[in-house]
Amino acid sequence: MLRAAMKGPSHNDIEIGDGNGVEKKGGTTRIRTVIVAGQSSQRTREVLHALRGFQNVIWPTSLESALAQAGSGDAACLVIADDLREEPIDEFLQEARELQRNLPIFVITAPHDVAEAVSAMRHGATAVIEIPPSYAALCAEVSRAMQ
Amino acid sequence: MKDLPQAVFVVDDDDAVRDSLKLLLKSAGISSEVFASAQEFLAVYDAAQPGCLVLDVRMPGMSGLEMQHELNLRGAMIPVIFITGHGDIPMAVEAMQHGAFDFLQKPFRDVELLDRVHRALARDTETRARLRHTDRIRERLASLSPREREVLDLVTQGKANKMVAGDLGVSQRTVEIHRAHVMQKMEAGSLAELVRMMMAVAP
Repeated sequence: MLRAAMKGPSHNDIEIGDGNGVEKKGGTTRIRTVIVAGQSSQRTREVLHALRGFQNVIWPTSLESALAQAGSGDAACLVIADDLREEPIDEFLQEARELQRNLPIFVITAPHDVAEAVSAMRHGATAVIEIPPSYAALCAEVSRAMQ
Repeated sequence: MKDLPQAVFVVDDDDAVRDSLKLLLKSAGISSEVFASAQEFLAVYDAAQPGCLVLDVRMPGMSGLEMQHELNLRGAMIPVIFITGHGDIPMAVEAMQHGAFDFLQKPFRDVELLDRVHRALARDTETRARLRHTDRIRERLASLSPREREVLDLVTQGKANKMVAGDLGVSQRTVEIHRAHVMQKMEAGSLAELVRMMMAVAP
């Protein structure tokens, strides 16, 4: 079980977006979230910025919290924006996959790191997106997941 | 039925690569067959032959990714290890999304490839064993009478004999007899085992 905390704000999970990404079903309101996992880094900030047009993007302050959100059933997708400090991404991926078999999980990786991309795919990533050149592919994947 | 021996199929348009891989596999005691093109391999491929595939991505004519697509269309489950000298992330992701076992970039160390091959062969053995198991269950299911099948479906839903009797409009004693036949034909030692069998063949 992953225990290490991501470096981030020490208070509540951060919510980005205007919060109106809601799905009304049978009189109840269901909020579908885009979960971003990653330490406090330039890369994570870029991912959050790229996803600013989506509603209910959250950046949990710990890996445990990210996993809890991923397993809640309200998650539209999980984006692993950057490395997770002491915890290997593959392990985190596997846990998230075990929690939610059908959850789309996108991993951002450095260009040309084919071995890392293959490993991420083997451990449950839905797709691996290399950055740079742009976040367009990520936004397209998240849009699909939100539908 | 006894399994055919496992083999590694190498598909690469480069003569030198084919020869060196054949030698490497031979040195590790692994039998292999080499092919210069995807078409050559597909023309003789027999899904009953256990093994794994070492497949070059870029080949003239049909590429490795196209050949993987063709194998998927044929329902082949052979583990595929892609090898390429010009791999990129979108290519690797596509291959993995379509079920590749692994994706290795050239140059790779001999030990790396052998490790992947051993794991792919182990995966193939597991898959074939699982399929044989589910085939046996399906054969047993096919041997049940329609009434026995109804009883099986209801008892594996957790219904007691009395409830099954009520649902089917027969006596409890009749259900008991059908249930005994089901257990015998399915070769199940317990209700839990019967449930596991049904889960194994569930769509």
